[in-house]
Amino acid sequence: MNTQYKKGVLELCVMSILKRRDCYGYEISEYLSKYIDIADGTVYPILRKLKSDGLVTTYLSEDSCGPPRKYYSLTDLGLKTYEADKKEYLSFAKTIETLLEDEDDDKK
Amino acid sequence: MTKNEFLLQLKNELKKNNISDLDDIISEYEQHFAFKLADGFSEEEIAAKLGDPVELASQFIPNVSENKYGGRKIVTVIGMIFADLFAGAFFLMLFIFAAVMGIVTVAAAIIGICLLVGLNFYGLIPGMPYLCAFIFAVSFFAFAVLSTAAFLYFVVFTRQLMRSYKRFHINVIAGSSGKAALPSLPVHPLLSHKFQRRLRMLALSSLTMLAVSLVSGYIISAIIAGNLEFWHVWGWFVK
Repeated sequence: MNTQYKKGVLELCVMSILKRRDCYGYEISEYLSKYIDIADGTVYPILRKLKSDGLVTTYLSEDSCGPPRKYYSLTDLGLKTYEADKKEYLSFAKTIETLLEDEDDDKK
Repeated sequence: MTKNEFLLQLKNELKKNNISDLDDIISEYEQHFAFKLADGFSEEEIAAKLGDPVELASQFIPNVSENKYGGRKIVTVIGMIFADLFAGAFFLMLFIFAAVMGIVTVAAAIIGICLLVGLNFYGLIPGMPYLCAFIFAVSFFAFAVLSTAAFLYFVVFTRQLMRSYKRFHINVIAGSSGKAALPSLPVHPLLSHKFQRRLRMLALSSLTMLAVSLVSGYIISAIIAGNLEFWHVWGWFVK
């Protein structure tokens, strides 16, 4: 699948994960790579872009063991953007689906 | 590729792309390695799954992803240095002109005061009846005011020109390294209507005053001296 195309959708996926709960970068990377076939390192540029756009913030949190982890959390703007983008994407995906299925029907 | 090789290559590529917060990004990948190593993966496996450092580094470039700006930026910076040299010389000339305008203004005001109160240092001011001296003093004051207005506008104009040039400079450099350009600034100064109106009023009234006092000064001097070339009568240019 085209990586450039995937990257746009990945932003949406990352935001949907963060909407459920705050995560550190590695968690998100692991979670996504379970579902989507992408290079593990791709998540970090996406997180950074979301941060520079003000859609997520970061904070450090000490865990029981190991160094402090950087957690990502969705901002209010991020939440609004996510809801709007999600709606847009789903309706777009639906349209494409109908279009592609129509083409299949025509062949029969 | 080992962990250190991966991180070093990533760091170098990020530097090439002028990405800020290098350490922040690198530490995220370091943590990724730490987690994966704890799960029993080898460094080579982890690096391979992370992806190509060159490709990853290019994804950190804001907005633009595939383009490489490395070579272009250097050429642009060198070009801008030459442009700056020329612009610098030009601005230096503008500064000198402003200084000359300032000095001329002050000099005109001083001559006006000398004429008015009858001061004459080293006999520099040629002799004339006080009535004429008074009228010419008014001319000098009017000229000083006119020149002040011009000086003010010139300073504001030069400042705006420099701002505009600075913005142009920043945008050219930003453009060559793939960063977003700021809106360009106009060359002419954006003055408030009130300030513009006052400046225009000041310039026009002082110009009128200058013209009136010069013409009347000439006519009155000519009448008093009884000669159109009154300066000969009063022996102005004779040692």
